[in-house]
Amino acid sequence: MVQYNFKKITVVPNGKDFVDIILSRTQRQTPTVVHKGYAISRLRQFYMRKVKYTQQNFHDKLSTIIDEFPRLDDIHPFYGDLLHVLYNKDHYKLALGQINTARNLIGKIAKDYVKLLKYGDSLYRCKCLKVAALGRMCTVLKRVGPSLAYLEQVRQHMARLPSIDPNTRTILICGYPNVGKSSFINKITRADVDVQPYAFTTKSLFVGHTDYKYLRYQVIDTPGILDRPFEDRNIIEMCSITALAHLRAAILFFLDISGSCGYSIAQQAALFHSIKSLFMNKPLIIVCNKTDLQPLEGISEEDRKLVMEMKSEALKTVIGQGGEATSDDSVLLTMSTLTEEGVISVKNAACERLLDQRVEVKMKSKKINDCLNRFHVAIPKPRDQKERPPCIPQAVLEAKAKEAAEKEKRKTEKDLENENGGAGVYSMNLRKHYILANDEWKEDILPEILDGHNVYDFIDPDILRRVEELEREEGIRQAEEENDEFEIDGAELTPEQQAALAEIRKKKSLLIQQHRIKKSNAESRPTVPRKFDKDKQYTSERMGRQLSKLGLDPSLAIQRMRSRSVSRRGRKRDRSPEGADGGDRMDVDGDTPGKKQRLSRSRSRSRSVSRPPHEVVPGEGLKDSAQKIKAIKLAKKSVKKRNKEARRGEADRVIPTLKPKHLYSGKRSTGKTDRR
Amino acid sequence: MRLEKCWFCSSTVYPGHGIQFVRNDAKIFRFCRSKCHKNFKMKRNPRKVKWTKAYRRVHGKDMTQDSTFEFERKRNRPERYDRNLAETVLKAIPKIDKIRVTREERHHKNRMKGKKEKLQKEAAKELEQSISLVKAPSALQKDPSLTLPQKIKVSVSQRQSEDNNAMEE
Repeated sequence: MVQYNFKKITVVPNGKDFVDIILSRTQRQTPTVVHKGYAISRLRQFYMRKVKYTQQNFHDKLSTIIDEFPRLDDIHPFYGDLLHVLYNKDHYKLALGQINTARNLIGKIAKDYVKLLKYGDSLYRCKCLKVAALGRMCTVLKRVGPSLAYLEQVRQHMARLPSIDPNTRTILICGYPNVGKSSFINKITRADVDVQPYAFTTKSLFVGHTDYKYLRYQVIDTPGILDRPFEDRNIIEMCSITALAHLRAAILFFLDISGSCGYSIAQQAALFHSIKSLFMNKPLIIVCNKTDLQPLEGISEEDRKLVMEMKSEALKTVIGQGGEATSDDSVLLTMSTLTEEGVISVKNAACERLLDQRVEVKMKSKKINDCLNRFHVAIPKPRDQKERPPCIPQAVLEAKAKEAAEKEKRKTEKDLENENGGAGVYSMNLRKHYILANDEWKEDILPEILDGHNVYDFIDPDILRRVEELEREEGIRQAEEENDEFEIDGAELTPEQQAALAEIRKKKSLLIQQHRIKKSNAESRPTVPRKFDKDKQYTSERMGRQLSKLGLDPSLAIQRMRSRSVSRRGRKRDRSPEGADGGDRMDVDGDTPGKKQRLSRSRSRSRSVSRPPHEVVPGEGLKDSAQKIKAIKLAKKSVKKRNKEARRGEADRVIPTLKPKHLYSGKRSTGKTDRR
Repeated sequence: MRLEKCWFCSSTVYPGHGIQFVRNDAKIFRFCRSKCHKNFKMKRNPRKVKWTKAYRRVHGKDMTQDSTFEFERKRNRPERYDRNLAETVLKAIPKIDKIRVTREERHHKNRMKGKKEKLQKEAAKELEQSISLVKAPSALQKDPSLTLPQKIKVSVSQRQSEDNNAMEE
């Protein structure tokens, strides 16, 4: 079965948007760069490609529009008529026709301009041609704009049409406005149609689905029809007329007995007679609604006569189908949608009638024999005349009766809850139904946690026995322990030994501390000679104290130390002339001898010999070796002190400014960062 | 509500504390605090981390096997409530605790058994070897006992102090 689903039609853009889409796509999907210096064939090809691409896109998009919109002649006449009623067939066809001509025109334009482009001789001319071609195509489309807008509106409306399958089982509801058609459909299906006291609340067809005997039935609610000549009807009424005309459905004609819709029974009967031609060959049921306001028996004589007339008409359709003229139960029914009495019976009657009719039609058709051949219903033949009704054992009957009685007597938890204040206020006592050895224990609270343990982990039926065992064992162990409590006390230290030990340990830790400090400062600490000790570590008093602490007599040592210092100074003076004598071994006059000696030295020995350290060669503006020696000594003396104090000398590298501004300011030359 | 054990340090996790991590294989790791959680994330083995219970058990510092541990076992099947049983259980729990604590103490004492003797031997050896740090050998010869020497006062004369000043420039 084809599904009449108009939701899948692509959106129709309006004229301006259409042009924008196509042109931007051309811009994006074709190459954009071209230069004057290219070969002429390449330039022509470039522009021809653009023109052809644009034309192709227009063609594609317009073709999709034309194809997707349904052709009114090709679809089911119900939809064809419905679309005609709603959108006007001619206007629709015209719009689509215009789109078609636009498509052809664009094709022609493209063909012409491509032909012209083949003979373009410069970039500028080709470009002008392309601009002209695209411009004309866009103008064509702009002219078609109103049609596009109309088609977009049509598409939007079509997408919202109810999906009615014209071939399946359908029940159609018709009648005057406000008689109760929408209320009925709300009752039997899950459709949610607006029900309001004013007329023409329902403005279009609504579909609901309902089930009967495991089959699905469509129920269609129509807008109310007024009694007017055909030509005067408006679009809304035409919708329902179309539905009545084209759909093969069971028809429920609604009659408002009470007249509260604002129309009398006479008017409704008149309507009935004017559209009864549409009820040809369709199972018709006349439904008298709103019987809660006015029962069928209570209406006046003329009204009753009219109703009977309608009924006879309806009976004709039954007979026309070949059915028996049974009761008027299947033709004239009463119900009330407000009190819901008779609603289900109406539905069942309609469904039954429709089903019968459809089955009959199917039986008469040629295809039925294929179906019939496929299945066979087996009916067992009766063995004898004995009656065999279903048998229910007595016990089961009694049990059923008892259950029914109990159900009524028993008070449920829900009732209890409602009594005591409702869902939020009352919470049921879950412990009520506990099965325990002693019912007093039901309300007991057992703690879950005790002293950092989970109580539930300890619960064990044997626990008493095991704890006793444990305690016994513990008692035994404790007794054992007491027996070997005595620990052999070794040689305890005497108090003076302890004092000595403490002192030793103190001294050791001090040494370790000092060593650690020394080690951590080693790299940055200058090696200053003892002469300059600023901590006053190397004083004679200190030495004396330390020696006396060790138990030695320091007086001799101090004396020795003092005497030694004086002698040390004196010995220094004695030593230096020796050094000078050693140096004066060579005379100044003995320059040449010096040289000779050097040369001879070099001649006599095969290997070169470096000069001994104290040999002084005269030169550099000085008179003789002695003077040089003195000069050297003076120089050395002047730096000696500073060197010993480990201070910076002349030859030591000096950085006058640690952070020169020109290196630390400004941006990097490559522009990587703003700072250095 | 249950008290759980921290997977890393084996201390109890009370409600409202710690973090639970569920791995893709549905194994649950509970941590008592972020210290344990972070150690776990660093993939440290609790058996090698000194302050955890796992380490202490593995290295014999704490008691490993004992019948008091058998009492506390996670039971999956609930028992029907019995008031008398509940009473006995609630009374038994502190007793079991006490016994467990005494046993742990005993274990610790056993572990520390030879310590005193060892300390004494070490002390004696140290005394013998390092006595020279506090008492000069010559003093020791004169007075073989271990009494520490008294301080000897040395008088410094005036003349010598002048010389000292001249020396220290």
